[in-house]
Amino acid sequence: MNKFYHILKTLFLFSWSLFVVFPFLWALTTSFKDANAITSGATYIPWVDYEPSTQGWTSLFTTGSQGINIVGPFIDSAAVTLIASLVSLLLGTLAAYGLSRFEYRLGFVKNADITFFFISQRIMPPIVLAIPFFLMLKELGALDTIFGLVLVYVALLLPIAVWVMTDFFAGIPKELDEMAMTDGCSPIGAFFRVILPNSVPGLVVAGMFCLIFGWNDFFFAFTLTFTETQLLPVSIVSLNSSVTPWWSLSAFALISVAPLACVAVIVERYMSRGTMSGAIR
Amino acid sequence: MKYRFTTSASALAIVASSAVPVSAQDYTRFGIEQDLPGTCSYEATDAKDYSGRTLNIITHAIPVIGEPTALHAEQFAELTGAEVNVVHVPFGDLFQRIMIPFQSGQNAYDVMFYPSLWIGDFSRFLAPVPEAYVNSTGMMDVTPSFTGVATWNGEMIQYPMDGDRHYLKFRTDVFENADVQAKYLADTGNQLTVPATWEEYNQVAAYFNASDWDGDGELNYGSAEVAKRDDLMFSAFISRAAPYAKHPDVQGGFFFDLETMEPLINTPGFVRGLELFIEAQASFPPGGTNFGLGDEIFSFGGGQTLMSYSWDDAYIQANQEDSRIRNMVAAAPLPGASEVWNRETGEWDTFETPNRAPYMTWGWSSAVSSMSEEQEMGFDFLCFFSNEANAEHDMQIGRFGVNPYRNSHFDVDYWKGQGWADKTALTYVTTLSEMEESQNRVFDLRVPGVSQFMSSMANGVAEAMAGQKTAQDALDDVAKEWAEIADRIGKDRLRDAYSNVVTLEDNEG
Amino acid sequence: MTPTSTFGVNTMLSSKHFFLLPALLTLIAIIVFPLLFTIRVSFSSWDVFQSGLDYIGGKNYGRVLEDERFWQSLGRLSLLSSISVCLQYTLGFALALAVWKQVRGGRVLRVLFLIPMMTTPVVMSVIWRTVFHESLGPANDILGMFGFGAVPWLSSATGAFISVLIVEVWQWTPFMFLLLLAGLVSLPREPYLAAAIDGAGTLRTFWQVTFPLMAPITIGALIIRLIEASKIMDTVYVLTSGGPGTATETSSYYIYIRGLRDFQIGYSAALSLVYLVIMIVSLTVIAKLLLRLLVGKVG
Repeated sequence: MNKFYHILKTLFLFSWSLFVVFPFLWALTTSFKDANAITSGATYIPWVDYEPSTQGWTSLFTTGSQGINIVGPFIDSAAVTLIASLVSLLLGTLAAYGLSRFEYRLGFVKNADITFFFISQRIMPPIVLAIPFFLMLKELGALDTIFGLVLVYVALLLPIAVWVMTDFFAGIPKELDEMAMTDGCSPIGAFFRVILPNSVPGLVVAGMFCLIFGWNDFFFAFTLTFTETQLLPVSIVSLNSSVTPWWSLSAFALISVAPLACVAVIVERYMSRGTMSGAIR
Repeated sequence: MKYRFTTSASALAIVASSAVPVSAQDYTRFGIEQDLPGTCSYEATDAKDYSGRTLNIITHAIPVIGEPTALHAEQFAELTGAEVNVVHVPFGDLFQRIMIPFQSGQNAYDVMFYPSLWIGDFSRFLAPVPEAYVNSTGMMDVTPSFTGVATWNGEMIQYPMDGDRHYLKFRTDVFENADVQAKYLADTGNQLTVPATWEEYNQVAAYFNASDWDGDGELNYGSAEVAKRDDLMFSAFISRAAPYAKHPDVQGGFFFDLETMEPLINTPGFVRGLELFIEAQASFPPGGTNFGLGDEIFSFGGGQTLMSYSWDDAYIQANQEDSRIRNMVAAAPLPGASEVWNRETGEWDTFETPNRAPYMTWGWSSAVSSMSEEQEMGFDFLCFFSNEANAEHDMQIGRFGVNPYRNSHFDVDYWKGQGWADKTALTYVTTLSEMEESQNRVFDLRVPGVSQFMSSMANGVAEAMAGQKTAQDALDDVAKEWAEIADRIGKDRLRDAYSNVVTLEDNEG
Repeated sequence: MTPTSTFGVNTMLSSKHFFLLPALLTLIAIIVFPLLFTIRVSFSSWDVFQSGLDYIGGKNYGRVLEDERFWQSLGRLSLLSSISVCLQYTLGFALALAVWKQVRGGRVLRVLFLIPMMTTPVVMSVIWRTVFHESLGPANDILGMFGFGAVPWLSSATGAFISVLIVEVWQWTPFMFLLLLAGLVSLPREPYLAAAIDGAGTLRTFWQVTFPLMAPITIGALIIRLIEASKIMDTVYVLTSGGPGTATETSSYYIYIRGLRDFQIGYSAALSLVYLVIMIVSLTVIAKLLLRLLVGKVG
């Protein structure tokens, strides 16, 4: 029976890994093709099946009319994502802690409703916010700037941070706070000296979600910029003409996943230590 | 995507100019064969100085139109000293990207490149082309169809830089192969000829579908068409329906009756076109009902299908130097119809020679924003973009998407000079120039809200093609929606705009 | 002395606000204008040909009620998101259980399983479209090697629906996997010891110990995924653009067409607000049901 389970498990893990890897492998081989190689049907191995070409990759680093240079957008993207994630994480952690430790009441509105208010911000389809955000940033003179995008991203990311951290703090026993406060800490002091250092696993998860959703947002990065500020997803779709260049899109997909794959390695480290959610429990 | 081009030290220019007589500067370093005389030639542009000033341009994604925009922006920056920013946007998002700043009064872009059929929506935000540019050498040579497309209420507000139309593309290695012809005759009892009606087109496509007629071991198919709903399918449908619905003797509107502004989209001619479109699906390559323009180009241009019709891209792709099917393709007018709906008499009229209704489908156009503070520089850039040397250069490169729009472009020798075979070049030029002369042309519905009308139509057509509704039901529903849209926009506003189109169609322009 | 009396009620109160208010006020400041503006716009006829904020009463809302395409897209969305979230949950849970105590190669697998979620949907959808390309893509090619015929991935209603489902599952199962694995790793040991003493088998231990203990995480994960899955747009746009016919048209994609393709700003605002209300109500109900179903089981 155990053996049967083991085989089943191995088979399952193997086929899922294959499924996960497949599009990347396909993107890898496609990134070395040209139009002729693509129109002659699905092929897989360079030199054997088709004559490889490097145009997919070179076009990503060429400035000028032949391609796009992704270095500038890469930096812009990193800046916007990091700043917005940090701000959201800071504000979100404070709020989550407050919501898990104190009782708030405003008429019939209670803690659970406030938490839901935060999370409900993610329900609105982004499409409809495009024009109000545009007008708002126009009034602030923040269109086409990193600041403007950070502002909007904070609204998008804050709910995620609040959600993850509220769950996380719920798992930290209140005795810990009380112990700190008996030692003479104010509630704020207790939070910074005792709770925060013990919250690294939660912060890692929340931070990762912020990075993912920030880094991969296409819509607002697209609508709220003109020519000065360009983020990565926007610059790649500028290659998505009526003739889709399968090769450069594939190369780009591989490049853009790289920084976040590093994040995955860090996250995994915390995960395997068994310190992730409710680490203190 | 952003580029910033600023003047670099022009040491190269000095070296180059010292080698040739001072009077005639050498501009071949820009990749052109030679500077051609004209109002906005390289030399004339070189004489201008825009240093310290900035021009912001929005254009389509690379390469189609996007790549020439970036290229000429780079050159313009070097020649005039201006700083030029170019941003590239995919087709599906171009409209909102231009329209949001327009409607909110934000001066975001000085110059924009966009599909010419949006003129009805953009007209109130565009700067009229100044007299000097209307009388420029380049503009004087533009064919009447394309100056017509750029004109709104008698005033030129778009700057023509591309010409487009739909026509038929087919494989000569099949159509002219005697063995194939004989077999076709034996099997069907008909001669194998280039289809003259859409019924014939469907028959030929079906006959050659799913067989390996080029002998490369992979199956070939009958017809590649743009059938993906929110891609450019609306244009494909108009091409197919036009000859059945556009009666040469009936004037006063193709999509709407200009007098009453009642939609004509569910009249029998359109329904017939849709039924034939539905039937043709059987001869598409696998996945063909979800083909966007890019897929169509790969499919026909890559040698997978026998026939196709749409813009020039697939034709030029097929004839690129590295193409497997170079010079095995030819062009012909779109198929016609031997029965045409006459909405005045309410009857089908029969035609001995099939009725043709060439569809001068939208192409790329350009304009300068009326909010721009750099209008002069904007027009100078557009004039430079489309100067004689650049236009000739850009037309040679298929992926640029710049297609003939001046009388001088309809020149067989020019295309033969690109390595095209006689037949490939001749049929191309003849097909294109004959469309210019037709008295029964169809134009896009260039009115405010055109996207609403087209997306409603595309949705109805898609529902019918997917078998969710019958052709008649689907188009009846579209007509109902069109009437509602027309009410919202206001029939008078719509009529004013639509009369611009009808003037062109009725050859009064 | 208790902490409260050390600092007094006032300190407690002010620090209580110190925690919540910055985030709450920031969010309100950023979101309140767009929200109010959207409500106002939904009562106007803002459209492609005019951008004023006139007042036309509830006309837009009347149109929403009669808009069959919208209600159909909502039905389709419920189907798509509930199936895809259930699949993601089941697969994510199974993967988490499978690598939970896996030692050899476990770390590599865990990193690998996280990666799809890190990719940009708008770009990955293009890659997937090439995978599903019916004559040039590998999906049919590989099926062909095993003797299967060509599958109409994107050109039949069922095929297109399944393709969208596959891409969603590929991209977002990692989300479930991460949350559930994090939950598993931090489970207490005592209940397992008790179960072992009882002589419970693997399956019974799972249903009686693991699953109930995971209930809170399950509810949170399901709700968040349902919210995110409902906004599905890029995948639909790139893969099928809602087709064939309207077979894969979801609410958010439909609102996108009306709002930014057609530029019917007023109408799309009304559509979004109706959508927002429906979503809030149904998510609250779903959350309550899940709570009763899963937590009720524990008690």
